[in-house]
Amino acid sequence: MHYFSQSFNYDHSWARVVIGMWHKYPNPHCSHVVTVDVVDRTVDPRTGIIRTERILGCKQRAPIWIVKLFGGSEDAFVREISFVDPSTQTTTISSVNLSLSQFATCNEMIRYSPAPGGRTAFHQTAEIETRMNMWRSAADKLENWLALRFEQNAQLGKVGFTDVLRQLWEDAKDKPAHVSA
Amino acid sequence: MAHSLTADCTPLKIEYDSCFNSWFEGYLEPAVSAAASPEQRAKYSKEKAEEYERKCGKIWASYRDCVQKAVKEKGLNELLDQARKENPLKEQPAISSPSQSSSS
Repeated sequence: MHYFSQSFNYDHSWARVVIGMWHKYPNPHCSHVVTVDVVDRTVDPRTGIIRTERILGCKQRAPIWIVKLFGGSEDAFVREISFVDPSTQTTTISSVNLSLSQFATCNEMIRYSPAPGGRTAFHQTAEIETRMNMWRSAADKLENWLALRFEQNAQLGKVGFTDVLRQLWEDAKDKPAHVSA
Repeated sequence: MAHSLTADCTPLKIEYDSCFNSWFEGYLEPAVSAAASPEQRAKYSKEKAEEYERKCGKIWASYRDCVQKAVKEKGLNELLDQARKENPLKEQPAISSPSQSSSS
């Protein structure tokens, strides 16, 4: 099992980061994410919590040995569930791979919460694990590759989302958190 | 905005996303400050949930039908069903973090 985690702050309020969340893609830094679809969404009339289930479609070339061993193609799909809770100012995003899921799982968890100085704390963890019943060295190789790719994409995601938030809010420093376009 | 799974659904997706985003942007900040009392929160949440349904319910139904078909066409419905079975995630997951003190 591979474990990944990182934490840092975004220089925007929690509300602005969470509004920005829906504007993250398409993103030149994360060009591997090509489709984003909401497949389920509820607004809880009691708690005000918004639950969203999305499918993200990614296109990223896999090494030839992956394709040979595990089949599959450039297209990979991810299921993502997010909860936005305004009462506690907490957002959690859980993601898991749909593609190659018979061989390995990559469970990612992200949380956004308010940080001092009107900033927003970002906390991300991921667990990458091959399923049982696999030829050991192939399992190790697959897991290593998935972990490496995850870390690369995590860095791209950080750079990409920082840009989105800057573009979204740079002209709005003195305005309330509201997007006009 | 990113594309939908199939080109057919992309116009519906764009219309739905715009509807949701403009509703959400009006919703979020008052929702944060509506924390004054549980009654106020419940009242605001109910009003806003109804407003969302009124404003975006119709386009959501069209987009959802389209995307559900696309999920099947792409052969993703079984993988999605399996993922939902393994982890329904109907409730917000509790996660520990270094910045919050653990209660366990």
